[in-house]
This record gives sequence, C-alpha cells and structure tokens, in this order.
Amino acid sequence: MNTVTIEINGSKYETEKGKTVLEVANENNIEIPTLCYHKALNPYGACRLCVVEILKDGWSELTTSCTLPVNDGLRVQTDSEKVVKSRKMTIELLLARCPEEEVLLELAEEYGIEKPRFKKKDDNCILCGLCVRMCERMGPKAISFINRGSDRKVKPPFEEHSEVCQTCGACAFICPTSAINLEEITKNKPIPILDEFDMGLRKRSVMHISYPQAVPNWPVIDSEHCIHLQTDQCGICKDSCEADAIDYDQKEQELEIDVGSVILSPGFEEYTLPKGDSYGYRVYPNVLTSIEFERILSASGPYQGHIKRISDGKSPKKIAWLQCVGSRDESCDRKYCSSVCCMYATKEAVIAKEHQPDVESHIYFMDMRSFGKDFDKYFARAQDEYGVVYRRCRIPRVEQDRTTKNLIIRYVDEDGSLKKETYDMVVLSVGLQPCKALGNLSKILDVNLNEYGFVETDPFSPVNTSQKGIYASGTVTEPKDIPESVTQASAAAAEAAKNIFEVRGTEITEKVYPKEKQVSAEFPRIGVFVCHCGINIAGVVDVKQVVEYAKTLPYVVHADDSIFTCSQDSQEMIKEKIQEFNLNRVVIASCTPRTHEPLFQDTLREAGLNPHLFEMANIRDQNSWVHKNVPRSATQKAIDAVRMAVSKSTDLYPVHHLKIPVVHNALVIGGGISGMQSALSIADQGYEVFLVEREPVLGGHLRDIYLGVNGEQPQELLKETVEKVNGHSRIQVFTGTTVEAVSGYVGNFKTKLTSEDKKVPAEIEHGIIVVASGGLPYEPVEYQYAKSDEIVTQTEFEKDLFDGKSYLKKLQEVVMIQCVGSRNDEHPYCSRVCCSQALKNALRFKEINPDATVYILYRDIRTYGFREDVLYQKARKKGILFVRYDENEEPEVNIDKGNITVKTFERVLRRPLHLHPDKLVLSTGIIPADNMVLAKQLKIPLNADNFYAEAHVKLRPVDFSADGIFLCGLAHSPRFIEESILQAKATSARAATILSKEYLETKGNIAYVTSRNCAGCKLCIEACPYDAITFDEEKKIVEVNEILCQGCGACSAVCPSGVSQQNTFTKRQILSMVDACLE
Amino acid sequence: MTDKILKVKNGDVAGSVNEFLKELLKSGKVHALLVMQEVPSKKISFPVLISDPGQLNANVFAPVLPVSTASIVSKITKFQAAEKLVGVVMHPCQIRALVELVKLNQASLENIVIIGVDCLGTFPLNIYTDFPEKKIPTQFILDAFKNKSKEAEKYLRSACLVCKDPVPVNADIVLGLYGADIGKEVFVEVCTDAGKKLLDGIKLDSKDVKGRENAVKVVREDKANKRDEFVKKKSSLKGIKVLSEFFDKCVNCHNCMKACPICYCKECLFDSSVFDAEAYKFLRKAESKGLFKMPNDSILFHLGRMNHMILSCVECGLCEQACPSDILLMDVFIPAAESAQKEFDYHPGKDPEEKIPMVVYQEDEYVEVGEA
Repeated sequence: MNTVTIEINGSKYETEKGKTVLEVANENNIEIPTLCYHKALNPYGACRLCVVEILKDGWSELTTSCTLPVNDGLRVQTDSEKVVKSRKMTIELLLARCPEEEVLLELAEEYGIEKPRFKKKDDNCILCGLCVRMCERMGPKAISFINRGSDRKVKPPFEEHSEVCQTCGACAFICPTSAINLEEITKNKPIPILDEFDMGLRKRSVMHISYPQAVPNWPVIDSEHCIHLQTDQCGICKDSCEADAIDYDQKEQELEIDVGSVILSPGFEEYTLPKGDSYGYRVYPNVLTSIEFERILSASGPYQGHIKRISDGKSPKKIAWLQCVGSRDESCDRKYCSSVCCMYATKEAVIAKEHQPDVESHIYFMDMRSFGKDFDKYFARAQDEYGVVYRRCRIPRVEQDRTTKNLIIRYVDEDGSLKKETYDMVVLSVGLQPCKALGNLSKILDVNLNEYGFVETDPFSPVNTSQKGIYASGTVTEPKDIPESVTQASAAAAEAAKNIFEVRGTEITEKVYPKEKQVSAEFPRIGVFVCHCGINIAGVVDVKQVVEYAKTLPYVVHADDSIFTCSQDSQEMIKEKIQEFNLNRVVIASCTPRTHEPLFQDTLREAGLNPHLFEMANIRDQNSWVHKNVPRSATQKAIDAVRMAVSKSTDLYPVHHLKIPVVHNALVIGGGISGMQSALSIADQGYEVFLVEREPVLGGHLRDIYLGVNGEQPQELLKETVEKVNGHSRIQVFTGTTVEAVSGYVGNFKTKLTSEDKKVPAEIEHGIIVVASGGLPYEPVEYQYAKSDEIVTQTEFEKDLFDGKSYLKKLQEVVMIQCVGSRNDEHPYCSRVCCSQALKNALRFKEINPDATVYILYRDIRTYGFREDVLYQKARKKGILFVRYDENEEPEVNIDKGNITVKTFERVLRRPLHLHPDKLVLSTGIIPADNMVLAKQLKIPLNADNFYAEAHVKLRPVDFSADGIFLCGLAHSPRFIEESILQAKATSARAATILSKEYLETKGNIAYVTSRNCAGCKLCIEACPYDAITFDEEKKIVEVNEILCQGCGACSAVCPSGVSQQNTFTKRQILSMVDACLE
Repeated sequence: MTDKILKVKNGDVAGSVNEFLKELLKSGKVHALLVMQEVPSKKISFPVLISDPGQLNANVFAPVLPVSTASIVSKITKFQAAEKLVGVVMHPCQIRALVELVKLNQASLENIVIIGVDCLGTFPLNIYTDFPEKKIPTQFILDAFKNKSKEAEKYLRSACLVCKDPVPVNADIVLGLYGADIGKEVFVEVCTDAGKKLLDGIKLDSKDVKGRENAVKVVREDKANKRDEFVKKKSSLKGIKVLSEFFDKCVNCHNCMKACPICYCKECLFDSSVFDAEAYKFLRKAESKGLFKMPNDSILFHLGRMNHMILSCVECGLCEQACPSDILLMDVFIPAAESAQKEFDYHPGKDPEEKIPMVVYQEDEYVEVGEA
C-alpha cells in the first residue's frame, strides 16, 4: 500500500509514501518557509525554518518538515503558536549573524521581528549548505563546510583555490543570500555563455530557447556546456521537468527524403569586419554593427529596448550611422550594393528616436537608395518628422576619446569644408554577404556561384540555378529586402511545384471521423477537464478545488484534472469519458484557445461530437501566469471562468462548415511580361488560365525594352514568352479585350468581358484573379522635351542604340538627366529602373562611340545589388561623368537656334556648369495606369501614388487583402523585368494555394443574419472589414457571404437588434457567460 | 437669407399657413402633404397624409406631438422612395430624427420636400386634450408668443423646455415665427434648391427682414442655457444603484422604445428570444442572491436601448411622453446624449453626410484605453 493519509492543519491529504511533509504541503499550496531546501537537492534540515509541530495524543514535538517522511495518520500543524515561536527565534538568530541579507529582512518583516536581540555579526552566509550540496551534485565537490561552531564556513579544502572547481557557478546561483565569492573558490575566471541571437550582448543559460520566434519554440540544451552531457552529473532539468520531456540521448540523425524539387534559401551573413579595421570595431566599446544595434533596440533584446552604451550603460545622446561598411567597396572585395542598409539605418534611426526622443541621429551615406515602394516617403518622414540628419560623406575612420569613450568622426560637409563631430555611439551599417555554409552546400548541390559568391541565376528565370530542379530564393541570389525575398520564395515554390504538379496531393491520406452524434434534442451533459499544465497552472491555481467546484455546476456530469490535457494520453482519456458519460458538451480549463482550441476540437470530432460543442476557460495565459503572487484569488478566478464556460456551453449548438467548390480557372488581367509569366506559371501547374489584354497584341512595355544589363536580350524574351503563351493548351488569350464587370468571390468569380471583335465569351468563371495591368511611361513636360528632336527619353535613345543608328557615332557630348517625373511633388516616389537604364544606355553608347563625353546629372545613383558593380562602377571606369544636382536646384535646359544648353551647379567646384550636348536624354520614370476602374470593379485599394496596394508590404507582397486576388508587375510599383517575373511567378504560387483545393470551407465562428428581422440599416456592411456582407436591394436586407466572413464579429457588435450574430459567440451565449459571471 | 414672408390675414396665423399649404396642394406643387391636422373630434391634432386640398385643415402650430413624424416618413419611404413629390411639415426635432433615419437607411428623401416649422414647444398629451386654460392650446401658445409671455412654459414637456434647437435645420423651406410679428406675417425661409422650386410661382410677399437672425440667436441661446442647467442638475443620476431606483416604476411595456424615432429595429433585442432562459437559470439566480426583482431585465433594457440609440438621440422626448409610469426619462437621456455625443464629437441630425460613429474607424481614437 503506497497511499497514506496525513492531516495538515486539520485537513486530510492523500499522498504517496516516500514523500516528505514539506513536499505534500507545497503540492497543496500550504506555505512553509524554507532557506536550505531545494527540490533538486537532498534535504538537509539545516536552517530549521521549515519546522512543523507533530501532534500526538496528549503531546507534540517540533521537527523539520523537509526531512519528515509522511506516514499514515501523521498529524501536523504548520502555523501553530509553537511553530511560529520557533521560527521567530531561528530568524532572529540568523538575522543577528547576517543583518544585511534581503531574504532574512523580508522574513523578519513577515514574522514581525524588528531587531534581533542578539549581538550582531557581519556575515552573509547563513550556513544553509545549498552550495555544498549543489557542488556535490555538479560533481567536483570543490567546496564544503570547514571548522565548527561559530567558525563554521564554506570553503574549498585548506581554504586554498580549488583545483577541481569547474567554474560552473551553480553554487553562486543557488545561494539564497550573496555569500559565494567565486574568486575565493577558484583561480579561473568564469566565462559567461554569450547569447548568439543577441550578438553576444547578454548571457544565456545552457538550457535556452534560441530566440523568441524560434520554430519550434522549444528549449534546447547547449551540449557543449551542459554539465550532464559533459560529465554525467547534474541532471536537475530532468528531475524538474513535470512533462518528463528531457531526453539526454537525442542524437543527430541522417534522414533520406524523396523530393521532386529543392529550394535553396540559406540566407545571408552580415559583413564581418576584419581585425584592425579603421572603425575600431571590437576595440572601441561604443562602436557597434547595425545588427548589434538592432538587438539593443528590441524589446526582447539585452536591454529590453532601452538604448545603452556598452562602455558605461548610459543612454547615448548622439548616434552616427556609417553606411556602406562592407558594401560598394572594392578594397574589401564587396563591389556590390547590399540594397537594404539605407533603409534599415533609417529605420534604426527612427526607432532610436521613438525610444528616446532626445537622441540625435546622424546618417553618413553616399547615395540614398530608398528605391522600394513607399521607401522615399519613409525617408522623407525620417527627416521631417523625426529630425534624422543625413550627411553625404563616406567616413573612412573613427577615433575614440580615451577618457569618455566617445567617438570622433571627421567629415566633409556640403560646402567642402572638413568638420569634426563627436558621438556617444557609432553604428556601422554592415552589408550582406553570402553565408559561409553556401560554399559547401553549392558543391553538394552542384550549383554555380557568381563572382560575388552568391548563387548564380538567370535574369529572366530568376529562381533557376544552374542545376535543373534546384531553385534558389532570398538573399542567397543577391542582397535584397524582405518583400523581394518573400516574393522570390513564392516564385521558387511555383517553379518547384511545376515539376511535380501531376502528383500533387497523392501522398496525403485524409483523416476519417466517425459520424456526428445528434445532440440537439438532448439536455446538456457536460464534461469539465481542468489542466495543470505541469506547474504552469497547478503551481498557482488549486486545480483540485476547481474540479470539485465544477462538479457542483448544473448539467456537469463529469469533472476531472490532468497534468497535461493536451498530451496524447489525455486526449484518449477525454474521448473515453465522452463515451462513458455520454457527454454532449466539453469544457476544458487550460492554456489558451489561441494555440489549443483546434486540437481539442479535433478530439471532439474523433469522439463523434460536433467540434463546436466545445468551450475553453483560459486559466493559464489570463490567470495563473498573471496572478502568480495571489494563488487564492487566482483559484477563485479559475472557478469563475469555469462557471462561465460551463454556462455558455449549455447554449452551444452544433455548427457545420459549408464546403464551397472551387472553380479551377484563373483570370489574369494584363498581357505584359508579368501577366504572361503569371499565366504560364499557373498553367504549368495544371490550371486553365484566361489571359485578358486590352491592346491588340501581347507584350506590354517589354516591347519597348531592347537592351539588357548583362547582355540578355529582352526582345528574345518577349518573342519566346508570347510564343509559349499562344501555344499553351491551358491558356486562352483574349487580346483587345477589357473586363467589364466582376462578381462573386474567392473560388467562384464571374467576369464579364467586352471585346471589339465579339469573339470572346460573354462571361467567364474562375477561382482567382491576377492583376497585372501594368504602368505607363511618364511623358515629360519639363526640360524642353517637345521643343527639339535632340531631346529624347531613355526609351527612345535605347531603341536608337539597339538599331545602331549612324548618328550615334557623330555625337560629341551626351547629357542624361535623371529623376525626370520621379521623386517630385507630383510623383513623390522613385521609379527604380531609371538609374540602371541610363547607365546601361550610356555604357552601350560608349561602346559605339568611345570618344564622346557623357554626363549624367543625378540626385542619387540607385544601382542596388550587383548593378552597382556591373553598371555604376563600370561606368565610372569608362569615364562617364557624374554630376549631382540638388532637388531644389534642377538643371536648366535652353534651346537657342537649335543648340541645347544645360546649366547645372557643380558641387565639387562650387560653380555653375554649362553643358552643350548634341543629345539630351531624359530618364523618365514610370507612372501608374488608370487603375481606378479596375480598383472599383474588384474592390481593391490603391496607395497614395495610385499604384495598387498589396495586403502587407512584407508578409503578403503579392496578395490583396481581398481573398483570391493577386498583384504583380508595374501595377504594383515600378520595377525591373526580372523583378516583375519574380512577382508574376509568386502570384502563381499564391493562386495555387486556392486552385489546388477541391473546396473552400467556411469557418465555424462566422456571422449569420436572421433576415426576418433585418431592418436593412447597413451598419454591419460598413463595419465588415472583409466586404463579406452585401445588401439585397429587393428584400432590403443584408446577406453574409460565408466564405468571405472571417468571424471577427464586428457586424454583430454594431447590430442593435441581434439580427446579425456570430456562431459560437451568439448574444445568448455571451449573456449566459455574463449571468454566470455575476452569480 | 429670409426674403419672403407670408402675410397673415385677420391675425389668423394658423389659418393663413393652412391657406399657403392648400395652395401648394392645389397648384400640384406637391402631390400630398404630411401635416398635423385636428382629428374630427377636435380633441387633438394628429399627422395626416393628405392629397385633397378640400379636406386640408392643417394645424401646424398645435403644441402637441403625439407620435414621431420622422417615424411616419420612414414608414412611407423605407421600402420604396416616394414616386411623386410629398411635402412633410415637421418639427425641428423630427427633422433631426429623419436625418438620422436616412443615415440608417430607414427613410428616403427622394421626392420628399421638408417644410420645417419654428417650434414654440409642445404640451404633454393629457394637458393638450384637457387644457386647463380658457383658450384652445394652439391659440394659447401663439398668443403667449405674440405677447412675449412665459405663461406657456409651465405646460411644456421637459424635452421642449430644454430643446436642443427649436429652429429647423436641414429643411427645404422653413416657416419662421421667431423674429416675426405673427399678427401680420410668417417668414418663409428658402434653404435649398428643392425649396426654391417648391415656392416657384407661389405668391408670397418679399420683405427685407432683419430681426429674424437675431431672434433665432436669442432663442437658441436661451434654450442652450436652460439645457446646460438641466444637464448639470441631472448629472448626479448615475451609477447602477441610482439608476435602478430611477427605473423602479418601469413596467417593462417597452412603450418608450416604440415611441422613439431612432429605435428602428424590426424586433427589439430585448423582445427577442435572446433573453429567454431555462428555469434553472432563474432559480440559480434566486439561490445565489436570495431574491431578485422580476421581470429581471428592465434596467438592462433601458441601458441596452440607451447604448444602441444614444448617439443618435435627438432629444424629442417622445419616450418620456409614452411612459405609462411617468418615468422622467429625459432626466437620464439628455445628460447621457450630451456626454456620449460630445465624446465622439457627433451631432445627430445636423449633417446628413456625417457618419454614425459606430461605423467610423479612427486609428488614434481612445488610445488611452487601447493598445499603445
């Protein structure tokens, strides 16, 4: 017989033999103070604080509860007068010995001791022996008690430095006071384990979760530093884990997996500065890399988001960012631009200002490369709203003031004079470089790397590597920002899926559920299951009490608890109980529905119950975690939560999910390179595509692009793509056709088309829509464009270059002006491609006519990525002259008797420059097409510049917030051919997530309308963020589209009459909870 | 602004306005009129929808508002907009209510021309029907106005005493009393193109009227002061205990909801099955509290109704007039409307384009109670 019953403070407790009274008391939330007890270590009975009174017939005795084993019939009192008196004396004696110790002062206050009556000593060791026992458990036994009586203390043998101490620090960790001084124990200095994710800016333990968003979010053991794995000692984590989840025997495994395609996305590494660099990184403590600063800014970082200097922990008042560290720098073999640093430095400067408004942020840069969608607006806000100062100067070195550890920077200002400025902190905006592992990986996979060490891809098939079937995405192919990485990832997924689309879904076995029981006619029979969540809940909430209470509630026929309700055996137990008690409602009191509701609902389905006959009481996230210090109130709150959940559950009813068949066709609007690539990619995955183009021919603006950056042939691409599209059996092309009206919703769209030749079907049905409607070239009104034949746009010049017109050889001077119709008040965005287009054309022109002079008048050269090297640096080497002009000092163009004069201000010489080109080329930008019409038809939004606005810039870069509609190409924002192709392919992968489904299933908690009572006020329509509610003009009532409804409940909140309600949150169910809460 | 006047014949203001309205009907300017007219028994005036000018005997100045005329316009136009032009003669509070109902898609102003009337206030129904003075109520209130006497105030409904605005806003034309010598004239103010079209060809006199603007300002200020005082005086009516006592007499008839022009629901939530409960729920309540008053949801009804309509409350006071238990609902509803509408800077009835706060999303709204 292993169970015994003991009595503590008059209450009976059933427990197992072998436990101590202290353990039983702890389990039942009975407070007994301890100092020398730790559950990982053998009890010791040294501090005598845990004394309890054993009651026997007629007499009693005091003994330490940590060493007192339970036996049947044992009766103890933990708070009797005798016990309290003894504890007071113990505390008083300890306090006399260590009068300054916080832990003792707290205890003294609790027991009402003002001052010890004994002579005070000056010690901080209370001789609890935790450290000695801990060191024993760790193996070395480096310390022990020496001497006797009042000379007793903890020391290594002979009070000399220990030779066996392994400097693990466990003794200091366990010490309840602060008595351990490691320097007295060992000669070795403890070396902290630095947190890799926080860039070594803080320590971490051996058992750790790599970072807050780690997937899976589980702790791991750093085997290199784990004492158990190294020496077989310790093992405390295994003893402590309630779920018994610690497995020291896990080993690396080699797995063999059959795959049809491989996607390579190992990411990048930040540029590592060489030792002895001129910035003093690793030498001057307040010089950080941008990624280190990023961690400092993070709320989960080393300083909880407070900006502090490494040298003294003070908040910096002035921070400088130095751009292009390890980018655009031939001297360190990083000839490319890292593309992202301008924006991340701006972001860091802005966030620094947000965290600490009095900080001064200065950014030293060469060209501001804010080329992405809405990036220029952010750059403007950083200056105007946050006062970030930008200085155009590359900083070669940083000096340090030895006493203050401040940093000194010398720079040349706009006037050309040398200035000096002192900073509290300097952040190096380090560039992106290929990750180290790529070298080996590329050999294993046999894919080629380019000259910069990134994976080589073809510009016009930008996810294909040199190896068939292996695709690459993200920064492994070129430095890039998040939107481009996410887009490329989807594009790679599309390519990977093409190879294997025919076997899609063949290895999936569908789960079969038993037939659902009919319960509507039955009275509720509720089962309540309360979870301990290890000690997460049970350590605070009295779970047993909650269970006992649940049993008293109406219609509850069964209540039980389990250590982990989410564990497999608990799920089986729940299923058994559902059968045994014929339960028709299940209430689980545990963690949070956010993570666990689907799991429990599935358990109900497996037991033949509708999954919505389930209700959850959140007693962990919203209870035990936040009320740790008030266990009694937490238990009461758990009881209330369970009563509310039980009350609601009586009003639950089965909810059935509708299955709406998907039309497996796609509509692609726009027949430019984006639309064609999207159509091809969707069709290649096995779906029918309708491709609609307004113009009589396919091709869009690609028809006007003749030269490639790396010698690729855009016109070849055009020809090839048009042929593929026209010849594809699954693509129907409708040229000269426009969209007249679109109705329906994701999975089931209907579109009316109009065409002049009337050969198109009147209406087509499709499951998804891709918007690839393109952009327009800007027609310049400035710089006398219309006044002279010698003033042309880049596109016109490019055609002449391609055709090799004879006049080109006769030209003596060509001037190109950048940002024509871009980055101004009318079009306050960067057109992204014009810098590269100008350089590409200038280089070609130089090939044709090497003796001619070429001036490029620019504001910032934005040749990001490898274009920096292949265009900009090459152009400089070829002698192309770059003259920067300021936004407020645009060049002036005059024509006098047919001669062109360009006047601009030369900033280095600080005087006006008069140029007399015989050809003036305007680098005109890209403007949005008339997007309003389609935007209204599809109910999709535009941004401030009238390009379409995607659902989320980074996370959903080619989706619209409206389900089933996707976006690519110039309709999204200005971009290069290869970037348009990536987006186009990405839309096909996104489209396939819908087209590959047989059905779309409605969610359970969707809204419904009692149409009989609808007054037709339309408030719900305005409140719905998903356009899921429509108005029936004839019946004057609203209707909910069950597929589009996401179950947010906004409609039922605005509906005053209860006409619009939400399944699983009906007014009646909520009222039931409120009533129960107020009971 | 006001440049037209209607001459009063023989000192009979009501009769002269009746003739004017008759002219509108006769000339075919409007196809029908919704207007207050004495019932045959002469006990009271009620709104009638009238198309026969011969039967028109309008009493637009009758100091009584038995039902909401805004609700009637809603009833007429909700399912189908008027096909032919209908003139609706309305009190200022009812025009405000109508504007709210239009926002709520419960009425259509298509082919509706609003003829607003300056309001001198209205009496409770029983006072109007059993009027203690020697004159008939209409004559009494018009004479009091003419003589600048305050004797009518003692009979006014409390909502009218502290009226939010007794001068019509958002009407197409306004029949103006304030500032006019009503022994001789009534102002006819043209406010919209529709109003202008309505009066096109109708014979009215033109006169340069200066007194109107100032008189309107004075009466508005006077009412605003009275209302401020009222709100201040009643501001102590809050907290569940005080409110429970306040609604003690409620018999749960829901007449207030039926009389309210803003309560547009087809079936009130509080009449629906949402509040049906199993016997055990009632019994548990009794067990846990020892006792509780039945019916148990009357305070919830009033607070729930208030929560639903208070932002659009135009303070017409018809709820209070409808209460069989004489609960002085305006004591609670006017201060609540004042603070709720102020909170959202919302002005019911003022601008048909102003959206109901419930459907307006503002990112920076209530940051102090939301997430940072």
